[in-house]
Amino acid sequence: MRGNFGRILLVELRGDRVAVEHVPLPEAVYQAFVGGVGLGAYLLWRFAPAGVDPLAPEAPLVYAFSPLLGTPLTTTAKFAVLCKSPLTGRISDGLSSSRFALAAKRLGVDAIVVRGALDRLSWLHLDEDPAACRAEPCPAWAGLSAHELSDMATKQGLFRHVSAIGPAGERQVRYATISNDGRHAGRGGAGAVLGAKRVKAISVRGAAVAGVADAASVQARARDLAARSAGAATEKYRALGTAANLETFDRLRILPRRNFQTVSIGQAAARRLAPEGLARAAEHVRDSCAGCTIGCDHRYGGTRIEYETQFALGPLIDVDDPARLIAAAGACDALGLDTISAGGTLAFAMECAERGLVDWPLRFGDDVLPWLGAIARREGAGDLLAEGTRRLAAVIGQGSERFACHVKGLELPGYEPRAMQTFALGLCVASRGADHNRSGAYQADLQVGVDRYRADVARAPARVIESEDNAALLDSLILCKFLRGAIREPWREGAELLTMVTGLSRGEDDLRRSARRIAAVRHAFNVREGWTLAEDRLPDRFHDEALEDGASLSRADVVAMVDAYHAARGHVPQGGPSERLRRELELDAWLTDAPPLQGPASLG
Amino acid sequence: MVTVELYGVPRLRAGASRVEVPAGTLASILHALASALPGLVPDIVHDGRLTEHALVAIDGREMIADPELPIADGSVLVLLSAAAGG
Ligand code: SF4
Repeated sequence: MRGNFGRILLVELRGDRVAVEHVPLPEAVYQAFVGGVGLGAYLLWRFAPAGVDPLAPEAPLVYAFSPLLGTPLTTTAKFAVLCKSPLTGRISDGLSSSRFALAAKRLGVDAIVVRGALDRLSWLHLDEDPAACRAEPCPAWAGLSAHELSDMATKQGLFRHVSAIGPAGERQVRYATISNDGRHAGRGGAGAVLGAKRVKAISVRGAAVAGVADAASVQARARDLAARSAGAATEKYRALGTAANLETFDRLRILPRRNFQTVSIGQAAARRLAPEGLARAAEHVRDSCAGCTIGCDHRYGGTRIEYETQFALGPLIDVDDPARLIAAAGACDALGLDTISAGGTLAFAMECAERGLVDWPLRFGDDVLPWLGAIARREGAGDLLAEGTRRLAAVIGQGSERFACHVKGLELPGYEPRAMQTFALGLCVASRGADHNRSGAYQADLQVGVDRYRADVARAPARVIESEDNAALLDSLILCKFLRGAIREPWREGAELLTMVTGLSRGEDDLRRSARRIAAVRHAFNVREGWTLAEDRLPDRFHDEALEDGASLSRADVVAMVDAYHAARGHVPQGGPSERLRRELELDAWLTDAPPLQGPASLG
Repeated sequence: MVTVELYGVPRLRAGASRVEVPAGTLASILHALASALPGLVPDIVHDGRLTEHALVAIDGREMIADPELPIADGSVLVLLSAAAGG
């Protein structure tokens, strides 16, 4: 097998010591789970003790690479970061891009699993040579942003590519990110898990190469994909970035404003926050992840602004000043905060303050910079906001839960579910909570022939499942989703890519089974950690309050769609796979309760 | 007349954010649009049809594609990029 190394690196931390061991993985694991989020979900299942506290030393943090990583194929310089989320208590699987991904795979492993904790804030160096792996205390780095740390370390010649946390991760803010060359593994709080292990940064050094089975075919496909990536299908990302969504979504009345109270900020405000408005407020440059021929990374005054950040730190908190939005986004980057959860939690707190449920000096439209700093440092009320919307609502009480906009504890992305009712289902059932990445069901609502204002119990489940499975494929290969418009037949092309890279023959049907298996393992993980059907729901606001244009979402319809989804997935009512699904996907071989794969004995 | 509002790449290609065209079928409107705003051809509008790279919503709500669909006088069509991801 090429494209993979057939082994992972298990890292155990204790006191000031680090022990590492290479653990071989059978070829069948790669056939079953591909790589990226698929491989990571399997490893999380195997290494996380059932019911573990996500911030406890024994909770694993998984970096999972993919077979395409390191090849000349465009948009493949990515990796997955998985953990049990401290925000949701469910699976968290983020993706990030960067040169760190390329450098980390050269350790000669397909994943890194970090367990245990150090006793002081340290820099963890991982090396292809196990004897060179070490942890070095770095108390002077406390409070640095990942960017500052990376700059300083590069200047001092310490390391070049680093995966690091900012101040929010150190303080275990439940939606802290892990930052890699300016990109973030954002949702779900993986940064808090690294912070709980007292690891400020991970540097890597290695020269291993996994190679590819059919170099000529890979080269030819890389040229072809690069050419397709420069076509009309990706023009929006190149020319405008996802920030172009905001004005369009305002017009379609799906842009959440003021903690999901309304769906429009008006044309003038939308234009101020649109790419042209942002470019008037700060210098605009375009950039890209390593090895990407699309380049969707639009920076304003040096800060990357994409739609979700723009929505969460703009309309959601009723800010329509582009300079203020850019400053807040820059602060989240520096502090290591997930922008959607930060904006969502602030929006909820603002509504509570305006309703007089708390006496904080915080109102919609306010400058949130001081609040972001307080959250990241857990100062004053910021300490409560650092816990995220769900926990904050539990503390404030007084009925605030009904407008606490989260699913499973994860704050909602920028699509109004009352006006996108297929996506409403996608949000309810997504394994990591209200999520727009591991499922792209919003796309179904913007198709011809779909009435997005109607909960289509008969058709929505299949649309959501197809979207989740497509995402599982791309996120396991890993290819950037912004390439999807240039890939007409993702299953066929995915199978071809895997075959030419690994040399293992893959077919469309067998890849579809892998995608379904990945979904089944994620669901099984959540069931093991306490999932019940009751958590596949939206907050009351979305059912009890109609939008100004009359759009409303029936609670009974959502319940019916969720039930139909689980039935179509082959889940039993109390959660978990049916006998038939177990057989079809050979789940008993994978969802084993056997002891975790062995780790280093040297720490005792 | 029918008002066509342009967003995203269609606006960028057309160099306009709004245009009025005579009412008629969707196909006749797209033909008129292509004549008025040639930058939309061929990636957004081709042979009186929308390409896969664009969507059109009537009054900002329902996505439509049937070329024979009559569009009434006074309607507003919203022309947008098909890629919705964020
Ligand atoms: S399209 Fe954007 S997110 Fe995707 S790899 Fe390229 S720069 Fe990164």
